[in-house]
Amino acid sequence: MRKYWEISKTYMKAQLVWRADVIFNMIFTISKILFAYLLWGTVFQDKEMVGTFTFHGMLSYYVVSSFLSQLEMSEGISSEIHDRLRNGTFSKYLVIPAGIERYFMAMELGVVLFYLIFDFAAAAVWVFVFRIRFVFAGEWQVIACALVMTVLGMVFMVQLNYFLGILTLRFEGIGTFLMIKNNLVSLVTGSIVPLALFPEFVVSILRLLPFYYVTYLPAMLLTGKCGEEAVRGIVIIGCWCVLMQLVIRAAWKKYFTAYDGAGI
Amino acid sequence: MNQTNKNIISTSGLIKTYRRYKKPEGIRGSIASLFHREYEEKTAVNRIDLTVQAGEFVGLIGPNGAGKTTLIKMLTGIIAPTAGAIDVLGYYPNDLKNAFKKQYAVVMGQKSQLFFELTVNDTLRLFKEIYEISEDVFQENKNYFVHLFGVADLMDVQVRTLSLGERMKMELIVALLHNPAILFLDEPTIGLDAIASRQIRSFLREINEQKGTTIILTSHYVEDIKTLCRRMVVVNHGVKIYDGATDELFERYQKNKRIIVAFDSPAGTMALKTGSAKLVVDETYKKEYEVPRQNASGLLAELMGHEPKDITIEEEEIGIVVERIYQEGGGDCHA
Repeated sequence: MRKYWEISKTYMKAQLVWRADVIFNMIFTISKILFAYLLWGTVFQDKEMVGTFTFHGMLSYYVVSSFLSQLEMSEGISSEIHDRLRNGTFSKYLVIPAGIERYFMAMELGVVLFYLIFDFAAAAVWVFVFRIRFVFAGEWQVIACALVMTVLGMVFMVQLNYFLGILTLRFEGIGTFLMIKNNLVSLVTGSIVPLALFPEFVVSILRLLPFYYVTYLPAMLLTGKCGEEAVRGIVIIGCWCVLMQLVIRAAWKKYFTAYDGAGI
Repeated sequence: MNQTNKNIISTSGLIKTYRRYKKPEGIRGSIASLFHREYEEKTAVNRIDLTVQAGEFVGLIGPNGAGKTTLIKMLTGIIAPTAGAIDVLGYYPNDLKNAFKKQYAVVMGQKSQLFFELTVNDTLRLFKEIYEISEDVFQENKNYFVHLFGVADLMDVQVRTLSLGERMKMELIVALLHNPAILFLDEPTIGLDAIASRQIRSFLREINEQKGTTIILTSHYVEDIKTLCRRMVVVNHGVKIYDGATDELFERYQKNKRIIVAFDSPAGTMALKTGSAKLVVDETYKKEYEVPRQNASGLLAELMGHEPKDITIEEEEIGIVVERIYQEGGGDCHA
Protein backbone atom coordinates (compact mmCIF):
# COMPACT_ATOMS: atom_id res chain seq x y z
CA MET A 1 0.00 0.00 0.00
CA ARG A 2 2.93 2.36 0.67
CA LYS A 3 3.79 2.58 -2.99
CA TYR A 4 0.26 3.73 -3.85
CA TRP A 5 0.25 6.26 -1.04
CA GLU A 6 3.54 7.61 -2.40
CA ILE A 7 1.93 7.87 -5.86
CA SER A 8 -0.93 9.87 -4.28
CA LYS A 9 1.55 12.14 -2.53
CA THR A 10 3.51 12.63 -5.75
CA TYR A 11 0.41 13.79 -7.62
CA MET A 12 -0.57 15.98 -4.71
CA LYS A 13 2.85 17.62 -4.94
CA ALA A 14 2.45 17.96 -8.72
CA GLN A 15 -0.84 19.86 -8.20
CA LEU A 16 0.88 22.38 -5.97
CA VAL A 17 3.03 23.51 -8.87
CA TRP A 18 0.07 24.90 -10.83
CA ARG A 19 -1.22 27.86 -8.82
CA ALA A 20 -3.49 29.12 -11.62
CA ASP A 21 -5.28 25.73 -11.75
CA VAL A 22 -6.06 25.98 -8.05
CA ILE A 23 -7.40 29.51 -8.34
CA PHE A 24 -9.54 28.77 -11.40
CA ASN A 25 -10.93 25.64 -9.81
CA MET A 26 -12.04 27.69 -6.79
CA ILE A 27 -13.51 30.37 -9.03
CA PHE A 28 -15.41 27.72 -10.96
CA THR A 29 -16.89 26.32 -7.75
CA ILE A 30 -17.85 29.83 -6.69
CA SER A 31 -19.33 30.73 -10.09
CA LYS A 32 -21.53 27.63 -10.02
CA ILE A 33 -22.92 28.59 -6.63
CA LEU A 34 -23.38 32.20 -7.75
CA PHE A 35 -25.22 31.01 -10.87
CA ALA A 36 -27.42 28.76 -8.73
CA TYR A 37 -28.12 31.62 -6.31
CA LEU A 38 -29.28 33.90 -9.11
CA LEU A 39 -31.27 31.21 -10.92
CA TRP A 40 -33.05 29.76 -7.90
CA GLY A 41 -33.49 33.22 -6.38
CA THR A 42 -35.60 34.09 -9.45
CA VAL A 43 -37.49 30.79 -9.38
CA PHE A 44 -38.25 31.10 -5.66
CA GLN A 45 -39.26 34.77 -5.89
CA ASP A 46 -43.00 33.99 -5.76
CA LYS A 47 -42.81 30.53 -4.22
CA GLU A 48 -41.95 29.00 -0.89
CA MET A 49 -41.27 25.52 -2.30
CA VAL A 50 -40.16 23.97 -5.60
CA GLY A 51 -40.74 20.23 -5.50
CA THR A 52 -39.64 19.30 -2.00
CA PHE A 53 -37.01 22.05 -1.81
CA THR A 54 -37.07 25.34 0.04
CA PHE A 55 -34.80 28.08 -1.30
CA HIS A 56 -32.12 27.39 1.30
CA GLY A 57 -32.54 23.63 0.89
CA MET A 58 -31.95 24.04 -2.84
CA LEU A 59 -28.85 26.17 -2.29
CA SER A 60 -27.55 23.69 0.27
CA TYR A 61 -28.00 20.95 -2.32
CA TYR A 62 -26.13 23.07 -4.83
CA VAL A 63 -23.22 23.80 -2.53
CA VAL A 64 -22.82 20.10 -1.67
CA SER A 65 -23.36 18.76 -5.20
CA SER A 66 -21.00 21.27 -6.80
CA PHE A 67 -18.45 20.47 -4.11
CA LEU A 68 -18.75 16.75 -4.89
CA SER A 69 -18.77 17.19 -8.66
CA GLN A 70 -15.66 19.39 -8.45
CA LEU A 71 -13.92 16.55 -6.63
CA GLU A 72 -14.81 14.08 -9.35
CA MET A 73 -11.77 14.59 -11.59
CA SER A 74 -11.32 11.14 -13.06
CA GLU A 75 -12.01 12.32 -16.60
CA GLY A 76 -8.29 12.96 -17.04
CA ILE A 77 -7.61 9.23 -16.67
CA SER A 78 -9.23 8.22 -19.95
CA SER A 79 -7.51 10.97 -21.88
CA GLU A 80 -4.16 10.18 -20.21
CA ILE A 81 -4.42 6.52 -21.23
CA HIS A 82 -5.69 7.40 -24.70
CA ASP A 83 -3.01 10.01 -25.38
CA ARG A 84 -0.19 7.85 -24.08
CA LEU A 85 -1.30 4.83 -26.08
CA ARG A 86 -1.56 6.98 -29.20
CA ASN A 87 1.76 8.75 -28.79
CA GLY A 88 3.62 5.66 -27.68
CA THR A 89 4.41 6.47 -24.06
CA PHE A 90 1.98 4.19 -22.23
CA SER A 91 4.90 1.83 -21.57
CA LYS A 92 5.74 4.19 -18.68
CA TYR A 93 3.01 2.43 -16.69
CA LEU A 94 3.62 -1.08 -18.05
CA VAL A 95 7.24 -1.40 -16.97
CA ILE A 96 6.94 -0.39 -13.32
CA PRO A 97 6.02 -2.92 -10.62
CA ALA A 98 2.66 -1.41 -9.74
CA GLY A 99 -0.88 -2.30 -10.80
CA ILE A 100 -1.83 0.12 -13.58
CA GLU A 101 -5.44 0.59 -12.48
CA ARG A 102 -4.36 1.02 -8.85
CA TYR A 103 -1.77 3.53 -10.02
CA PHE A 104 -4.56 5.60 -11.56
CA MET A 105 -6.71 5.20 -8.44
CA ALA A 106 -3.83 6.49 -6.33
CA MET A 107 -3.21 9.31 -8.78
CA GLU A 108 -6.88 10.33 -8.55
CA LEU A 109 -6.76 10.17 -4.76
CA GLY A 110 -3.76 12.50 -4.71
CA VAL A 111 -5.51 15.03 -6.92
CA VAL A 112 -8.79 14.77 -4.98
CA LEU A 113 -7.17 15.18 -1.57
CA PHE A 114 -5.46 18.32 -2.78
CA TYR A 115 -8.59 19.92 -4.23
CA LEU A 116 -10.69 18.78 -1.27
CA ILE A 117 -9.09 21.45 0.88
CA PHE A 118 -9.60 24.29 -1.59
CA ASP A 119 -13.10 23.26 -2.66
CA PHE A 120 -14.16 22.93 0.95
CA ALA A 121 -12.84 26.43 1.67
CA ALA A 122 -14.65 27.83 -1.40
CA ALA A 123 -17.95 26.18 -0.41
CA ALA A 124 -17.65 27.38 3.20
CA VAL A 125 -16.95 30.96 2.10
CA TRP A 126 -20.06 31.02 -0.06
CA VAL A 127 -22.31 29.57 2.59
CA PHE A 128 -21.12 32.46 4.75
CA VAL A 129 -21.26 35.21 2.04
CA PHE A 130 -24.81 34.36 0.90
CA ARG A 131 -25.94 33.67 4.45
CA ILE A 132 -27.30 30.33 3.29
CA ARG A 133 -29.15 28.65 6.14
CA PHE A 134 -27.41 25.40 5.44
CA VAL A 135 -29.68 22.37 5.63
CA PHE A 136 -27.70 19.37 6.82
CA ALA A 137 -28.62 15.74 7.60
CA GLY A 138 -29.28 15.12 11.26
CA GLU A 139 -28.54 11.40 11.56
CA TRP A 140 -24.92 10.24 11.65
CA GLN A 141 -25.83 6.95 9.96
CA VAL A 142 -27.10 8.85 6.92
CA ILE A 143 -23.97 11.00 6.85
CA ALA A 144 -21.79 7.89 7.07
CA CYS A 145 -23.72 6.26 4.22
CA ALA A 146 -23.35 9.43 2.14
CA LEU A 147 -19.58 9.47 2.67
CA VAL A 148 -19.22 5.76 1.82
CA MET A 149 -21.37 6.30 -1.26
CA THR A 150 -19.25 9.28 -2.32
CA VAL A 151 -16.10 7.17 -2.12
CA LEU A 152 -17.71 4.28 -4.03
CA GLY A 153 -19.07 6.73 -6.61
CA MET A 154 -15.61 8.15 -7.19
CA VAL A 155 -14.12 4.66 -7.43
CA PHE A 156 -16.75 3.83 -10.02
CA MET A 157 -15.94 6.95 -12.04
CA VAL A 158 -12.23 6.09 -11.97
CA GLN A 159 -13.09 2.57 -13.14
CA LEU A 160 -15.34 3.90 -15.89
CA ASN A 161 -12.74 6.33 -17.17
CA TYR A 162 -10.02 3.70 -16.93
CA PHE A 163 -12.21 1.32 -18.92
CA LEU A 164 -12.89 3.96 -21.58
CA GLY A 165 -9.16 4.68 -21.72
CA ILE A 166 -8.19 1.07 -22.35
CA LEU A 167 -10.79 0.88 -25.12
CA THR A 168 -8.11 2.74 -27.11
CA LEU A 169 -6.40 -0.64 -27.38
CA ARG A 170 -9.33 -1.73 -29.52
CA PHE A 171 -10.78 1.40 -31.10
CA GLU A 172 -7.79 3.76 -31.39
CA GLY A 173 -10.06 6.79 -30.92
CA ILE A 174 -12.43 7.05 -27.95
CA GLY A 175 -13.71 10.61 -28.43
CA THR A 176 -17.29 9.48 -29.15
CA PHE A 177 -17.40 7.28 -26.05
CA LEU A 178 -16.15 10.15 -23.91
CA MET A 179 -18.68 12.58 -25.37
CA ILE A 180 -21.57 10.19 -24.66
CA LYS A 181 -20.27 9.55 -21.14
CA ASN A 182 -19.82 13.26 -20.40
CA ASN A 183 -23.32 14.17 -21.57
CA LEU A 184 -24.84 11.30 -19.65
CA VAL A 185 -22.86 12.10 -16.52
CA SER A 186 -23.65 15.81 -16.49
CA LEU A 187 -27.37 15.08 -16.77
CA VAL A 188 -27.69 11.97 -14.64
CA THR A 189 -25.44 12.99 -11.76
CA GLY A 190 -27.86 15.79 -10.98
CA SER A 191 -25.16 18.42 -11.10
CA ILE A 192 -27.27 20.58 -13.45
CA VAL A 193 -30.78 20.02 -12.10
CA PRO A 194 -31.76 18.01 -8.99
CA LEU A 195 -33.13 14.70 -10.21
CA ALA A 196 -36.01 15.01 -7.74
CA LEU A 197 -37.54 17.53 -10.15
CA PHE A 198 -37.83 14.83 -12.84
CA PRO A 199 -40.97 12.66 -13.12
CA GLU A 200 -40.95 9.68 -10.76
CA PHE A 201 -40.68 7.05 -13.53
CA VAL A 202 -37.54 8.78 -14.89
CA VAL A 203 -36.00 8.88 -11.42
CA SER A 204 -36.80 5.19 -10.88
CA ILE A 205 -34.86 4.37 -14.06
CA LEU A 206 -31.98 6.62 -13.01
CA ARG A 207 -31.82 4.81 -9.67
CA LEU A 208 -30.61 1.74 -11.51
CA LEU A 209 -27.69 3.64 -13.03
CA PRO A 210 -24.46 4.22 -11.13
CA PHE A 211 -24.32 7.95 -11.91
CA TYR A 212 -27.30 8.55 -9.61
CA TYR A 213 -25.03 7.62 -6.70
CA VAL A 214 -21.98 9.64 -7.72
CA THR A 215 -23.09 13.15 -6.84
CA TYR A 216 -26.83 13.35 -6.62
CA LEU A 217 -27.77 10.90 -3.87
CA PRO A 218 -24.80 11.70 -1.60
CA ALA A 219 -25.71 15.42 -1.95
CA MET A 220 -29.35 14.69 -1.14
CA LEU A 221 -28.40 12.54 1.84
CA LEU A 222 -26.05 15.17 3.21
CA THR A 223 -28.80 17.80 2.93
CA GLY A 224 -31.24 15.64 4.83
CA LYS A 225 -33.27 14.08 2.04
CA CYS A 226 -33.83 10.55 0.64
CA GLY A 227 -32.53 8.91 3.85
CA GLU A 228 -34.51 5.76 3.04
CA GLU A 229 -32.36 5.21 -0.08
CA ALA A 230 -29.03 5.30 1.77
CA VAL A 231 -28.35 1.59 2.35
CA ARG A 232 -29.87 0.48 -0.96
CA GLY A 233 -27.72 3.09 -2.70
CA ILE A 234 -24.51 1.70 -1.22
CA VAL A 235 -25.48 -1.80 -2.33
CA ILE A 236 -26.28 -0.67 -5.89
CA ILE A 237 -23.15 1.45 -6.42
CA GLY A 238 -21.09 -1.35 -4.79
CA CYS A 239 -22.53 -3.83 -7.30
CA TRP A 240 -21.71 -1.44 -10.16
CA CYS A 241 -18.09 -1.21 -8.92
CA VAL A 242 -17.77 -5.01 -8.87
CA LEU A 243 -19.36 -5.31 -12.30
CA MET A 244 -17.13 -2.61 -13.76
CA GLN A 245 -14.05 -4.34 -12.34
CA LEU A 246 -15.02 -7.58 -14.08
CA VAL A 247 -15.55 -5.69 -17.34
CA ILE A 248 -12.14 -4.01 -17.00
CA ARG A 249 -10.40 -7.33 -16.40
CA ALA A 250 -12.10 -8.94 -19.39
CA ALA A 251 -11.35 -5.96 -21.65
CA TRP A 252 -7.70 -5.79 -20.57
CA LYS A 253 -7.21 -9.51 -21.08
CA LYS A 254 -8.81 -9.44 -24.48
CA TYR A 255 -7.36 -6.24 -25.91
CA PHE A 256 -3.94 -5.88 -24.32
CA THR A 257 -2.45 -9.17 -25.50
CA ALA A 258 -3.96 -8.69 -28.95
CA TYR A 259 -2.76 -5.10 -29.26
CA ASP A 260 -0.14 -4.66 -31.93
CA GLY A 261 1.73 -2.32 -29.69
CA ALA A 262 3.06 -0.07 -32.41
CA GLY A 263 1.93 2.83 -30.30
CA ILE A 264 2.85 1.64 -26.82
CA MET B 1 33.21 -8.12 -13.37
CA ASN B 2 30.41 -10.16 -11.91
CA GLN B 3 29.82 -12.42 -14.90
CA THR B 4 28.40 -15.89 -14.81
CA ASN B 5 27.57 -18.22 -17.68
CA LYS B 6 23.87 -18.22 -17.02
CA ASN B 7 21.42 -17.33 -19.79
CA ILE B 8 19.10 -14.67 -18.47
CA ILE B 9 17.46 -13.97 -21.82
CA SER B 10 16.44 -16.70 -24.16
CA THR B 11 14.20 -16.51 -27.23
CA SER B 12 13.48 -19.13 -29.83
CA GLY B 13 11.68 -18.61 -33.13
CA LEU B 14 10.35 -15.29 -31.84
CA ILE B 15 7.88 -13.64 -34.21
CA LYS B 16 5.92 -10.41 -34.00
CA THR B 17 3.49 -9.59 -36.74
CA TYR B 18 1.67 -6.28 -36.94
CA ARG B 19 -1.61 -5.88 -38.75
CA ARG B 20 -2.08 -2.54 -40.40
CA TYR B 21 -4.89 -0.93 -42.29
CA LYS B 22 -4.35 0.16 -45.90
CA LYS B 23 -6.46 3.04 -47.15
CA PRO B 24 -6.81 3.74 -50.85
CA GLU B 25 -5.76 7.25 -51.86
CA GLY B 26 -8.19 10.19 -51.95
CA ILE B 27 -11.65 10.99 -50.63
CA ARG B 28 -13.26 8.13 -52.58
CA GLY B 29 -10.82 5.76 -50.98
CA SER B 30 -11.68 7.16 -47.57
CA ILE B 31 -15.42 6.69 -48.16
CA ALA B 32 -14.88 3.19 -49.56
CA SER B 33 -12.84 2.28 -46.51
CA LEU B 34 -15.87 2.96 -44.32
CA PHE B 35 -17.49 -0.11 -45.84
CA HIS B 36 -14.57 -2.32 -46.68
CA ARG B 37 -11.13 -2.33 -45.17
CA GLU B 38 -8.02 -3.99 -46.34
CA TYR B 39 -5.34 -5.02 -43.93
CA GLU B 40 -1.81 -6.12 -44.50
CA GLU B 41 0.50 -7.95 -42.18
CA LYS B 42 4.00 -6.74 -41.45
CA THR B 43 6.45 -9.06 -39.76
CA ALA B 44 8.51 -6.81 -37.50
CA VAL B 45 10.46 -9.64 -35.88
CA ASN B 46 10.95 -12.88 -37.75
CA ARG B 47 12.09 -16.08 -36.02
CA ILE B 48 14.73 -14.56 -33.83
CA ASP B 49 16.76 -16.92 -31.65
CA LEU B 50 18.73 -15.07 -29.01
CA THR B 51 20.47 -15.88 -25.78
CA VAL B 52 22.13 -13.38 -23.48
CA GLN B 53 24.24 -14.26 -20.47
CA ALA B 54 24.38 -12.37 -17.20
CA GLY B 55 26.85 -9.48 -17.28
CA GLU B 56 26.99 -9.15 -21.08
CA PHE B 57 26.87 -5.78 -22.86
CA VAL B 58 25.07 -6.45 -26.13
CA GLY B 59 24.57 -3.97 -28.94
CA LEU B 60 21.42 -4.37 -30.97
CA ILE B 61 21.69 -2.55 -34.25
CA GLY B 62 19.84 -2.22 -37.50
CA PRO B 63 18.31 0.45 -39.71
CA ASN B 64 14.97 2.14 -38.89
CA GLY B 65 12.12 -0.36 -38.94
CA ALA B 66 14.50 -3.32 -38.57
CA GLY B 67 12.67 -4.63 -35.50
CA LYS B 68 15.05 -3.58 -32.71
CA THR B 69 12.50 -1.67 -30.63
CA THR B 70 9.86 -4.35 -31.20
CA LEU B 71 12.32 -6.93 -29.86
CA ILE B 72 13.03 -4.78 -26.78
CA LYS B 73 9.28 -4.32 -26.24
CA MET B 74 8.77 -8.09 -26.28
CA LEU B 75 11.70 -8.69 -23.93
CA THR B 76 10.27 -6.19 -21.45
CA GLY B 77 6.70 -7.47 -21.77
CA ILE B 78 5.30 -4.28 -23.25
CA ILE B 79 3.92 -6.28 -26.16
CA ALA B 80 3.18 -9.97 -26.62
CA PRO B 81 4.93 -12.03 -29.29
CA THR B 82 2.80 -13.43 -32.09
CA ALA B 83 4.66 -16.75 -31.90
CA GLY B 84 7.80 -18.33 -30.51
CA ALA B 85 9.26 -18.87 -27.06
CA ILE B 86 10.61 -16.13 -24.81
CA ASP B 87 12.11 -16.32 -21.35
CA VAL B 88 13.61 -13.38 -19.48
CA LEU B 89 14.92 -14.03 -15.97
CA GLY B 90 12.67 -17.08 -15.81
CA TYR B 91 9.48 -15.17 -16.69
CA TYR B 92 7.23 -14.83 -19.70
CA PRO B 93 7.54 -11.03 -19.96
CA ASN B 94 4.02 -10.21 -21.19
CA ASP B 95 2.56 -11.66 -17.98
CA LEU B 96 3.80 -8.35 -16.51
CA LYS B 97 4.47 -9.85 -13.09
CA ASN B 98 5.69 -7.30 -10.56
CA ALA B 99 8.44 -9.70 -9.43
CA PHE B 100 9.76 -9.68 -13.01
CA LYS B 101 9.46 -5.92 -13.44
CA LYS B 102 11.52 -5.36 -10.31
CA GLN B 103 14.47 -7.11 -11.97
CA TYR B 104 14.87 -5.03 -15.08
CA ALA B 105 14.80 -1.41 -16.17
CA VAL B 106 14.18 0.16 -19.50
CA VAL B 107 15.27 3.58 -20.71
CA MET B 108 13.96 4.78 -24.00
CA GLY B 109 15.65 7.90 -25.34
CA GLN B 110 12.44 9.57 -26.35
CA LYS B 111 10.23 8.43 -23.47
CA SER B 112 10.52 9.65 -19.93
CA GLN B 113 9.78 8.17 -16.51
CA LEU B 114 10.37 11.50 -14.80
CA PHE B 115 7.71 13.88 -13.52
CA PHE B 116 8.46 17.13 -15.29
CA GLU B 117 6.71 19.27 -12.67
CA LEU B 118 8.64 17.74 -9.78
CA THR B 119 12.27 17.54 -8.79
CA VAL B 120 14.43 14.46 -9.36
CA ASN B 121 14.52 13.86 -5.60
CA ASP B 122 10.71 13.64 -5.54
CA THR B 123 10.73 11.18 -8.44
CA LEU B 124 13.44 9.05 -6.81
CA ARG B 125 11.39 8.91 -3.59
CA LEU B 126 8.40 7.69 -5.61
CA PHE B 127 10.45 5.00 -7.32
CA LYS B 128 11.93 3.91 -3.99
CA GLU B 129 8.40 3.04 -2.86
CA ILE B 130 7.26 1.58 -6.19
CA TYR B 131 10.25 -0.80 -6.27
CA GLU B 132 10.04 -1.38 -2.50
CA ILE B 133 13.70 -0.48 -1.96
CA SER B 134 14.92 -0.34 1.64
CA GLU B 135 16.05 3.07 2.93
CA ASP B 136 19.68 1.89 3.24
CA VAL B 137 19.89 0.56 -0.32
CA PHE B 138 18.08 3.66 -1.59
CA GLN B 139 20.53 6.05 0.05
CA GLU B 140 23.53 3.98 -0.98
CA ASN B 141 22.48 3.75 -4.64
CA LYS B 142 21.34 7.33 -4.82
CA ASN B 143 24.67 8.58 -3.46
CA TYR B 144 26.61 6.27 -5.77
CA PHE B 145 24.82 7.41 -8.92
CA VAL B 146 24.62 11.08 -7.97
CA HIS B 147 28.39 11.01 -7.45
CA LEU B 148 29.03 8.97 -10.60
CA PHE B 149 26.91 11.26 -12.78
CA GLY B 150 28.03 14.44 -11.03
CA VAL B 151 24.51 15.79 -10.61
CA ALA B 152 24.36 16.63 -6.89
CA ASP B 153 23.41 20.26 -7.59
CA LEU B 154 20.51 19.25 -9.85
CA MET B 155 18.58 17.01 -7.50
CA ASP B 156 16.25 19.74 -6.20
CA VAL B 157 15.64 21.39 -9.55
CA GLN B 158 12.38 20.97 -11.47
CA VAL B 159 12.92 18.30 -14.16
CA ARG B 160 11.47 20.48 -16.92
CA THR B 161 14.34 22.92 -16.47
CA LEU B 162 17.05 20.31 -17.11
CA SER B 163 18.92 20.04 -20.39
CA LEU B 164 18.46 16.91 -22.53
CA GLY B 165 21.80 15.50 -21.39
CA GLU B 166 21.05 16.17 -17.71
CA ARG B 167 17.63 14.63 -18.09
CA MET B 168 19.07 11.47 -19.61
CA LYS B 169 21.42 11.13 -16.64
CA MET B 170 18.40 11.41 -14.33
CA GLU B 171 16.50 8.81 -16.38
CA LEU B 172 19.43 6.45 -15.87
CA ILE B 173 19.55 7.10 -12.12
CA VAL B 174 15.82 6.40 -11.82
CA ALA B 175 16.25 3.22 -13.87
CA LEU B 176 19.24 1.94 -11.91
CA LEU B 177 18.02 2.79 -8.43
CA HIS B 178 16.68 -0.72 -7.75
CA ASN B 179 19.81 -2.57 -8.97
CA PRO B 180 18.20 -4.16 -12.02
CA ALA B 181 19.72 -7.36 -13.37
CA ILE B 182 19.07 -6.20 -16.94
CA LEU B 183 19.06 -2.68 -18.33
CA PHE B 184 17.41 -2.18 -21.71
CA LEU B 185 18.48 1.00 -23.44
CA ASP B 186 16.76 2.18 -26.58
CA GLU B 187 18.69 5.02 -28.23
CA PRO B 188 19.90 6.58 -24.96
CA THR B 189 22.16 9.11 -26.69
CA ILE B 190 19.67 10.29 -29.29
CA GLY B 191 19.78 14.07 -29.61
CA LEU B 192 22.71 14.44 -27.19
CA ASP B 193 25.82 16.41 -28.03
CA ALA B 194 29.24 14.73 -28.23
CA ILE B 195 30.23 15.54 -24.64
CA ALA B 196 26.98 14.30 -23.10
CA SER B 197 27.07 11.15 -25.26
CA ARG B 198 30.61 10.42 -24.15
CA GLN B 199 29.65 10.89 -20.49
CA ILE B 200 26.65 8.56 -20.83
CA ARG B 201 28.85 5.94 -22.51
CA SER B 202 31.38 6.17 -19.71
CA PHE B 203 28.65 5.73 -17.05
CA LEU B 204 27.20 2.74 -18.84
CA ARG B 205 30.59 1.06 -19.06
CA GLU B 206 31.16 1.59 -15.35
CA ILE B 207 27.74 0.25 -14.41
CA ASN B 208 28.28 -2.85 -16.53
CA GLU B 209 31.76 -3.45 -15.13
CA GLN B 210 31.26 -2.46 -11.49
CA LYS B 211 27.69 -3.62 -10.87
CA GLY B 212 27.63 -6.51 -13.36
CA THR B 213 24.39 -5.20 -14.88
CA THR B 214 23.52 -6.90 -18.15
CA ILE B 215 22.92 -4.21 -20.75
CA ILE B 216 21.10 -4.46 -24.05
CA LEU B 217 21.66 -1.31 -26.08
CA THR B 218 20.11 -0.19 -29.33
CA SER B 219 21.70 2.76 -31.05
CA HIS B 220 22.23 4.28 -34.44
CA TYR B 221 25.60 5.64 -33.43
CA VAL B 222 28.66 3.57 -34.33
CA GLU B 223 30.58 5.18 -31.50
CA ASP B 224 28.08 3.96 -28.87
CA ILE B 225 28.26 0.40 -30.06
CA LYS B 226 31.96 0.25 -30.81
CA THR B 227 33.09 1.63 -27.48
CA LEU B 228 30.64 -0.24 -25.27
CA CYS B 229 29.49 -3.56 -26.65
CA ARG B 230 31.66 -6.62 -26.85
CA ARG B 231 28.89 -8.43 -28.66
CA MET B 232 26.67 -7.24 -31.49
CA VAL B 233 23.36 -8.48 -32.78
CA VAL B 234 22.38 -7.04 -36.14
CA VAL B 235 18.79 -7.20 -37.33
CA ASN B 236 17.37 -6.19 -40.65
CA HIS B 237 13.76 -6.61 -41.82
CA GLY B 238 13.08 -8.41 -38.54
CA VAL B 239 15.71 -11.09 -39.18
CA LYS B 240 18.91 -11.56 -37.20
CA ILE B 241 21.75 -11.32 -39.71
CA TYR B 242 24.76 -11.18 -37.41
CA ASP B 243 25.43 -12.25 -33.85
CA GLY B 244 29.02 -12.15 -32.71
CA ALA B 245 31.98 -10.12 -31.54
CA THR B 246 31.83 -6.39 -32.22
CA ASP B 247 35.51 -6.22 -33.22
CA GLU B 248 35.03 -8.95 -35.74
CA LEU B 249 31.97 -7.30 -37.22
CA PHE B 250 33.75 -4.01 -37.82
CA GLU B 251 36.86 -5.83 -39.04
CA ARG B 252 34.85 -7.79 -41.57
CA TYR B 253 32.21 -5.35 -42.66
CA GLN B 254 33.34 -1.80 -41.98
CA LYS B 255 35.56 -1.54 -45.02
CA ASN B 256 35.89 2.17 -45.64
CA LYS B 257 36.69 5.38 -43.82
CA ARG B 258 35.55 8.84 -44.71
CA ILE B 259 38.16 11.59 -44.58
CA ILE B 260 36.92 15.18 -44.54
CA VAL B 261 39.44 17.93 -45.32
CA ALA B 262 38.81 21.63 -44.87
CA PHE B 263 40.97 24.41 -46.38
CA ASP B 264 41.48 28.10 -45.64
CA SER B 265 41.77 29.03 -49.29
CA PRO B 266 39.90 27.68 -52.34
CA ALA B 267 41.17 24.22 -53.21
CA GLY B 268 41.07 22.91 -56.75
CA THR B 269 40.90 19.29 -57.77
CA MET B 270 43.84 17.42 -56.26
CA ALA B 271 45.67 14.70 -58.09
CA LEU B 272 46.11 11.98 -55.49
CA LYS B 273 48.40 8.98 -55.61
CA THR B 274 46.12 6.93 -53.36
CA GLY B 275 44.15 5.62 -56.32
CA SER B 276 41.42 3.80 -54.38
CA ALA B 277 40.26 7.05 -52.70
CA LYS B 278 36.91 8.25 -54.03
CA LEU B 279 36.01 11.94 -53.92
CA VAL B 280 32.40 12.04 -52.66
CA VAL B 281 32.00 15.74 -51.79
CA ASP B 282 33.79 18.38 -53.83
CA GLU B 283 33.33 21.93 -52.55
CA THR B 284 35.58 24.98 -52.81
CA TYR B 285 36.78 24.81 -49.20
CA LYS B 286 35.96 21.21 -48.36
CA LYS B 287 36.62 17.76 -49.85
CA GLU B 288 35.35 14.43 -48.62
CA TYR B 289 37.00 11.16 -49.58
CA GLU B 290 35.91 7.60 -49.08
CA VAL B 291 38.85 5.26 -48.85
CA PRO B 292 39.41 1.59 -47.95
CA ARG B 293 40.55 1.37 -44.34
CA GLN B 294 43.95 -0.08 -45.19
CA ASN B 295 44.68 2.92 -47.45
CA ALA B 296 43.41 5.58 -45.00
CA SER B 297 46.83 6.34 -43.49
CA GLY B 298 48.39 6.75 -46.96
CA LEU B 299 45.67 9.16 -48.04
CA LEU B 300 45.94 11.05 -44.77
CA ALA B 301 49.69 11.53 -45.21
CA GLU B 302 49.14 12.70 -48.74
CA LEU B 303 46.42 15.19 -47.75
CA MET B 304 48.63 16.66 -45.05
CA GLY B 305 50.94 17.80 -47.80
CA HIS B 306 48.19 20.09 -49.13
CA GLU B 307 48.20 22.19 -45.92
CA PRO B 308 44.62 21.62 -44.79
CA LYS B 309 42.96 23.72 -42.08
CA ASP B 310 41.29 20.69 -40.53
CA ILE B 311 41.00 16.93 -41.11
CA THR B 312 38.24 14.69 -39.72
CA ILE B 313 38.14 10.91 -40.00
CA GLU B 314 34.76 9.23 -39.74
CA GLU B 315 33.70 5.62 -39.54
CA GLU B 316 31.15 4.25 -41.97
CA GLU B 317 27.57 4.65 -40.83
CA ILE B 318 25.81 1.69 -39.27
CA GLY B 319 23.26 1.61 -42.11
CA ILE B 320 26.02 0.96 -44.66
CA VAL B 321 27.59 -1.72 -42.47
CA VAL B 322 24.23 -3.45 -42.02
CA GLU B 323 23.59 -3.32 -45.74
CA ARG B 324 26.96 -4.92 -46.39
CA ILE B 325 26.33 -7.69 -43.85
CA TYR B 326 22.98 -8.30 -45.48
CA GLN B 327 24.53 -8.47 -48.96
CA GLU B 328 27.32 -10.75 -47.87
CA GLY B 329 25.08 -13.12 -45.99
CA GLY B 330 26.06 -12.15 -42.43
CA GLY B 331 26.78 -14.76 -39.83
CA ASP B 332 25.96 -16.08 -36.40
CA CYS B 333 29.25 -16.33 -34.56
CA HIS B 334 27.80 -16.37 -31.07
CA ALA B 335 28.55 -19.53 -29.15
